[in-house]
Amino acid sequence: MSSKIEVPSPRAINRKRLEYIRLYSPVKVDVPKARPIDRSLLKYGGSEPSVLEKNIHSPVTPGAINFPPFKVTPELEQKADQRIDHYPADQRRSAVLPLLHEVQHHFGFISPESIDWVAGKLDIAPIKVVEVVTFYPGFRQKAPGKYHFRVCRTLSCAMGGSYELMAKLCEITGIDRSGADSHKDPISVSPCGNYSVEYAECLASCGTAPVCLVNDDFHEDVTADKAKDLITQYNG
Amino acid sequence: MSDIKYLPGKEPHEKECRLIFKNVDRQGWDTSIETYLNDGGYEVLKKSLGMDPKAVTEDVKGSGLRGRGGAGFPTGIKWGFIPPKNTKPVYLICNCDESEPGTFKDRYIVHQDPHQLIEGMVISAYAVGAHTAYIYIREEFPEAAITLERAIAEARAKGFLGQNIQGSGFDLEIYVHRGAAAYICGEETGLIESLEGKRPYPRIKPPYFPAAMGLYMAPTIVNNAESLCHVVHILRMGGEEYVKLGTPRNSGTRILCVSGDVKKTGYFEVEVGKITFRELLYDMCGGPKDGREFKAVIPGGSSSKILRCNESFTIGRGDDAKDLSFWDLPLDFDTLAAAGSMAGSGGVIVMDDTRRMSWVLNNITHFYAHESCGQCTPCREGSTWMKKVSDRIENGQAVPDDVKTLEEIAYQIDGKTVCAFGEASAWPVEGMIDKFRDELVGETSEDNDFKTAERIAQEEFLSTAQ
Ligand SMILES: Cc1cc2nc3c(=O)[nH]c(=O)nc-3n(C[C@H](O)[C@H](O)[C@H](O)COP(=O)(O)O)c2cc1C
Ligand code: SF4
Ligand code: FES
Repeated sequence: MSSKIEVPSPRAINRKRLEYIRLYSPVKVDVPKARPIDRSLLKYGGSEPSVLEKNIHSPVTPGAINFPPFKVTPELEQKADQRIDHYPADQRRSAVLPLLHEVQHHFGFISPESIDWVAGKLDIAPIKVVEVVTFYPGFRQKAPGKYHFRVCRTLSCAMGGSYELMAKLCEITGIDRSGADSHKDPISVSPCGNYSVEYAECLASCGTAPVCLVNDDFHEDVTADKAKDLITQYNG
Repeated sequence: MSDIKYLPGKEPHEKECRLIFKNVDRQGWDTSIETYLNDGGYEVLKKSLGMDPKAVTEDVKGSGLRGRGGAGFPTGIKWGFIPPKNTKPVYLICNCDESEPGTFKDRYIVHQDPHQLIEGMVISAYAVGAHTAYIYIREEFPEAAITLERAIAEARAKGFLGQNIQGSGFDLEIYVHRGAAAYICGEETGLIESLEGKRPYPRIKPPYFPAAMGLYMAPTIVNNAESLCHVVHILRMGGEEYVKLGTPRNSGTRILCVSGDVKKTGYFEVEVGKITFRELLYDMCGGPKDGREFKAVIPGGSSSKILRCNESFTIGRGDDAKDLSFWDLPLDFDTLAAAGSMAGSGGVIVMDDTRRMSWVLNNITHFYAHESCGQCTPCREGSTWMKKVSDRIENGQAVPDDVKTLEEIAYQIDGKTVCAFGEASAWPVEGMIDKFRDELVGETSEDNDFKTAERIAQEEFLSTAQ
């Protein structure tokens, strides 16, 4: 049997359907009203939310106790300058990812203030940093727990039981994942602030599924029954 | 070479042919430069720097090496695309974003044998005339990023990087650049945009072929980490010798990563095209789990079309045409393409008879809906629609027509997008529906065809008024 593929043609435009829409529209649609921003949830309050605050999601989470507030130290400046040196002098913007990684490493997540600092360092408008932060799932916009679990949810791990692992981790740490959204708000933090979980896409170790990353440590073959052991490794 | 010992339980299978993974899981091996040098490391680099750069490129061309990142494009020919009259700096980028589901080979190279990659990069940079090279590594390899930076510092201290490498007058700096968990950064032009500090929106080709207009609009060669490691072995053996490995037009070795429902998952470095699915899944992976049967295999990362284990294919044209069952298919670029799928990145995902195909499909569509960069409409909207329709099928809320709708969406993404992500997201859906239509339709029901009052009115209108 040869594998010839028949390509279905797109459905023809149904003129009558268009006419129906013209006659009977506008169909009433309930548009939810925009909720006013709850100022108390924003960590960095001014009288008016800045463009950064409006565009990045940074409510205070129980995880915030684990991280110092953003502060520029000489050490950070020096590390940033080293990173910037890796790129041609007229292409400082290339260092935006490395600088954001530095910030996230020290302060847990990317806050509006740190965006201003990165933008200043690279001589670009803050919005150019915001667009990067909001695109990449690797940059967190709110404080995770002290130990951040990233569980792989892609095919091989799912077959190996990563959904069960996630359920077990949430059960043990008391995390409620019901509000999580893979695009807008992927991270869920435990009430104690020690743990947080997130689904990751294929972590490139499908042969040892299911796998997860805890902060920077990689763990293989963590089936749900090993969840307890895994968490006890991280209880300090 | 026969005195190499591997860690207990990690010994290579007898059908393997280890070049790239020679040092992976090796007893007494570590990532330091001393270990690498004691094993004869960087000798090929010294030899290559004595050659004319053109001769190095010719050797790679002669080897027939095809890129291991997914597209299988001949590496030597790609290097030849740099415009001859170019005056801008040339860049070399190692694509170590490895995020195609099912693929896990670059991980072991950068975690266990970083110097092999660096040696390959210096030789490649010398051949294409690059003085700056970047390793774009995915964010989820934090340990490897540190290992690589340490290895780069070691190589620099020993004079294999930096100014005037080994007295040849050739300069090269390599930097590690970490991504941030976005699959689309694996696409070469998306990767370049990401390296420039922007959102990784892939560029449209033509005109933005990286070899002419790449990083900072200068000529740029992007190669997969495994491809760059092969360069070391090609120069060591000579292109003519290397081409004898594997099969014609599919030379060398490649790493197959097997995951899913087999007894022994893992990586196997084999000569391209010398291994059939039967040998791979039964001999090397130990067959299906007890009491189960193989059902379907995704042969080259989740973007490739799925194959049924009980199919047969006609491979070749005219007099050369052969009928082969799935089990007798050799795993090489051309055969898998002829079978309607692709060899891709070498990630083989196996499913047995306990897996519901609607569930598998749903998992895959979620991946692509999450990872679309959102730049072009067919892909951004289509991948989300495919996710929603497959959600319905998986949850048993679909009507039989939904399968057809899903197929139509896929065919309307395919070929209409800026980058190959469009195909990557559409092919698995097209393949799945092609091979498992009955099973998918079997999970739907006419009873789910819930009609709102508005829809009833609409249908009435459409059937009467003219
Ligand atoms: C959506 C998409 C994702 C890709 N992801 C990767 C990847 O993770 N790693 C990789 O090496 N190549 C990836 N590629 C292929 C690259 O675009 C490019 O072809 C490759 O790096 C070239 O290297 P090679 O010639 O050595 O294979 C991807 C391509 C597409 C379209
Ligand atoms: S095909 Fe998809 S991933 Fe590629 S540019 Fe378009 S939207 Fe982005
Ligand atoms: S599917 Fe989980 S690591 Fe690849």
